Parts: sequence; structure tokens; C-alpha cells
Amino acid sequence: MAINLQKGQREAINAPQFTIGLGWDTNSASTGTSFDLDTSVFVLGDNKRLLSDSHFVFYNNLKTPDGAVEHSGDNLTGDGDGDDEQIKVDLSKIGSAAAEICVVVTVHDAENRRQNFGQIRNSYIRVLDGANNEVLKYELEEDFSIETAVEFGRIYKRNNEWKFEAVGVGMKDGLEFFLNKYN
Amino acid sequence: MAINLVKGQTIDLRKNDKGETFDLSKVTMGLGWDVRQKNTGFLGKLFAPKEEEFDLDAIAFLLDGNDKVQNLGRTVNQNGRQVGLFEGDVIFFNSMRHPSGNIWLTGDNRTGAGDGDDEQIIVKLDSLDPIYQKIIFVVSIYQGRQNNQHFSMVENAFIRAVDANGKEITRYSLSGDTSLNGMCTMVFAEAYRRDGGWKFRAIGEPHQTDSFLEILKKYVNA
Repeated sequence: MAINLQKGQREAINAPQFTIGLGWDTNSASTGTSFDLDTSVFVLGDNKRLLSDSHFVFYNNLKTPDGAVEHSGDNLTGDGDGDDEQIKVDLSKIGSAAAEICVVVTVHDAENRRQNFGQIRNSYIRVLDGANNEVLKYELEEDFSIETAVEFGRIYKRNNEWKFEAVGVGMKDGLEFFLNKYN
Repeated sequence: MAINLVKGQTIDLRKNDKGETFDLSKVTMGLGWDVRQKNTGFLGKLFAPKEEEFDLDAIAFLLDGNDKVQNLGRTVNQNGRQVGLFEGDVIFFNSMRHPSGNIWLTGDNRTGAGDGDDEQIIVKLDSLDPIYQKIIFVVSIYQGRQNNQHFSMVENAFIRAVDANGKEITRYSLSGDTSLNGMCTMVFAEAYRRDGGWKFRAIGEPHQTDSFLEILKKYVNA
């Protein structure tokens, strides 16, 4: 049975594998560039900083060294049904130094293209548990209409148990903001 | 105080974040525009031609829960011409009043002359049949393609929502810039049901066609 998390709510993660799914519709207008949403993951240590450059999983780095986090590849337009990008996480493979996994979604090149989530139809980010149940979903065009970046959720270790927290904080920034925060 | 929207922005029509509430028993969607004056210079102004007349039309599509127009009306004879979409779920210059009486277009302004709203679509949002989940507001430049009239030439275009007591709830403005060259139809905004109320989204999506029928195709069951 799917659990739908409220913002700030935390849940223990029962099975170690889960999938982050990102989806959106292509731009149907006659003008303007395509909508390119990106989902990225930061694997952090106890110091709340990236364990290494290769622990920043995004469109140019699809896998962590331990193989625990894997990105399906960059979708540049939103073409295709269902999830357009996915990040698969397997906590059973993750290195012991990992203390926190932070998931973000950003609108690529938002400032130049003058885009925000509100313009992107049917844009969402969600978490599916190991049995493909939807645990949490944000409708980006509704909940973050004038924003360009969302800190979606964080997975963190507490008493040797992994938990998921729904964060849902939007901002008018880009991926660089998170890089600066976690580097 | 009305909220000025940016493209993509959504707001709740019932209340704003300053605690102001609005009466949605009758909402007036007002559309207005000015046509950019041609730079004619001193001599030009002496022999100034008439300000070019643009005929912008406001159109509304009533959509069901699947984003489709259910009722495409019928074809009737108007002034000797066969006219389609009559008394269906599309409100436009040939079918200005919805059979339910809950949404209507107040008139056809053919030149854009006058300040304030140039055209108005009035919706009794609270009374609208529950099968209608969304209303799309489209603006087209009538015969824009053959007259070479585009949205890049239109200034101060706006859509605004005013409640039953005359309070302006929100406004979305766009000014023609060069990215709108060759664009003759604009999907301006939409009102949609959510959480038991109504929300409004600024869309501002341009299209090259000057016929709203091309846009309508997307909202019709194949």
C-alpha cells in the first residue's frame, strides 16, 4: 500500500532498493526551446559534503563508484511516456562513509530560456519503493510553479537505519546552487 | 491588490496569500491589447494613416476531466453562411453564449480601440457544471496570417480576472517582442478546478496559426 508523505515527514525505508522517477511533457508551443528537466543525487558524508566528485550523480556522471546510485541518462526534451529520467538507488551496495543522499530536480538553463516549472506540463518527481509503489510525488507545475529548482527529498542514516524525508523546498536557482552547498 | 503573474505561475482564484478572498459566483476574464504605433516620423504624422486595425478574438474552450471538449455544437445558418461549433463548449464570436448560461462572451471588438478590457468572457465559476474541469483562454488575430499581423506587434496585451464585486484578482501581461514574430494565436491562460476550488495559470504559449481551430484539434477526441 503506497504511503504518501507530507512535507517534512520521515519514513523508514523498508527495502533497500528504490527508484526516483522524473517525468514531464515536451514543449508544444511554436516558439521557445525544449524543456530539459534534470534529476541529480548528492551522496554526502557526515560533514554534509560530497564524498567525492563521482558521488555527484547527474547527466554527466551516471554512476557512483560503489554502483549504489545509477542514473538512466539525460532526457533533453521530455519525450516518451512515464518517467523520462530515473535514478535507481540500492542502499545495500552503498559505501559505509555515505551518511546522506540528497535528491534534487532542476530546470536546465532556466535563466537563459526563461522557464520555470509552471510552464512544464505534467512535470513530476516521485519515489517508487522496491515493489514499485509510489511513496511520494510532487507535481512540479502546481506546487513549484514559479521556481526552477526543488530539493525533493533526502535519505539519511540514523541508528544504522536508512530513512526518507520529504523535503519539498523550491527555489529560483540551478544545479550550481546545490553544488556549492554540498562541495 | 491584484497579483501580477509571470509565465507559468499558478494561483488560487478564491484567495491570495494576503488573506483577501474573492467571490467567484461571477468572474470576468478581461482581455485587452494595444497595437504598436508605426514610427512614421514628422511627415508621416502629418499624413498619418489610420492606426492599423487588429481584430483580436477571445475564445474559451470548456474542457472535461480528460482535457477534451465534449460538445462541439452544431452547424447553423448565420446571415447566409454556414457556421459550425454553434452552442457547443467553445465560446467565440459565432457562438457567444453557452447553452447553460454560465459562460459568455460579451461582444466582438474588431479594432482594439478603447482603454481597459477590449473583450470580456464572463464565467459563473461557482455554477459551472462539474463535468467542466478546465477553461482555456485563447486569443487569435483574426486573419492575422493574410494581413501580416502578429503578436510581436501587439503591446500591453493582458488577461485579467475580476470577481463578482469588481475586485481584480490577478493579471497576466505580455508585450509583443521579437520572439512573437509570426505568431498569430496565443494560448493565454487557463482556469482549472483543484482542491474544491479554482486555480488560474498564466500560460502565454504562442502559435503560428491564426485560427483557433488548429489549437482546438488538440482538445478534441480524434
